[in-house]
Amino acid sequence: MSAIGGAQRESALINLSGAVTMVVDDSAFALELTGQALMGFGVRTRHACLNATEAMEILKGQTIDLLLVDCEMPGIDGFELVRWLRHSGLEPNAFVPVIMTAAHMRRPRLAEARDCGANFIITKPFSATTLLERIMWVARDSRPFLEAGGYVGPERRFRNTSAPGEERRADMILKRESEAAKAGGQAKGEAA
Amino acid sequence: MSSPGGISVDTAIARARANLETMREQALQVIEASISALEAIREPTGPGDMSEGREQAYRAATSLIDAAGPFELLDLCRAAAGLCDLIGALDPEQPFDWRIVTVHARSLRLLQTLPAEATRERAHILDSLSEVVKRKLAQPG
Repeated sequence: MSAIGGAQRESALINLSGAVTMVVDDSAFALELTGQALMGFGVRTRHACLNATEAMEILKGQTIDLLLVDCEMPGIDGFELVRWLRHSGLEPNAFVPVIMTAAHMRRPRLAEARDCGANFIITKPFSATTLLERIMWVARDSRPFLEAGGYVGPERRFRNTSAPGEERRADMILKRESEAAKAGGQAKGEAA
Repeated sequence: MSSPGGISVDTAIARARANLETMREQALQVIEASISALEAIREPTGPGDMSEGREQAYRAATSLIDAAGPFELLDLCRAAAGLCDLIGALDPEQPFDWRIVTVHARSLRLLQTLPAEATRERAHILDSLSEVVKRKLAQPG
């Protein structure tokens, strides 16, 4: 059962074979996993990069249609790469749909994740179904592109379209921290 | 995406799953290496090693999530994510209770060893870990 969201019927046809896709991840294994999932969707990963520097060089010279990038990488990380791309003035790549992936999102980096200019961030674990759903969603993302106060990217609020699924891990972290803070406050009160 | 031809969403997902399945063995090796890396982490002696030790634990846990996620080994992902939550939320300047890493490593090893049908035992391990994470996050500092 694939149980893809309401945006697309399971029998509907998709054709992603013409999409020029770049995947950036410092883990060769994660790169291969993403590449295999994409291949199943009919997408050949044209550019598989193990670091942001390599990706930047390619982005300067070749047009891509979709960028999947890991958030945490040594050296230039995923956030910095996306921010660079959005500010690069490279047309049309500066406007390319960007999906970021993260095995885990550190609490202090949530603001960076929101502000770097990516279309969507997927926190792992994610299944093939989730990945396809997100790709289809960003392909149809109609939010206007903004350049405001240092931010360049799709409008951060979802007005007419809801985001596909919840940013579950981030929500869980915030909820857990709020509960922990409350529990800590109670413990202090009891000790006093 | 809407150009003529193509494949159905169902077919796309089935093909992606089949492709991923060819990598299951490799994924299990990565999971094993990540758990071993966590088991090998000892409490550092020098202050400079503290943050490095924590980063090592964080990296091992995230690489486990990377490998386990596509195969929907969700218990392993949940246990590793708890460790990441804790390391990510604690103040790097504050002392770190290294027993947390040991507890997570042992629990991950156990989850990996238990048969899939041992749902009660699995749930118990995950609940205990959640409790540890919640308690540690509630501690001041």
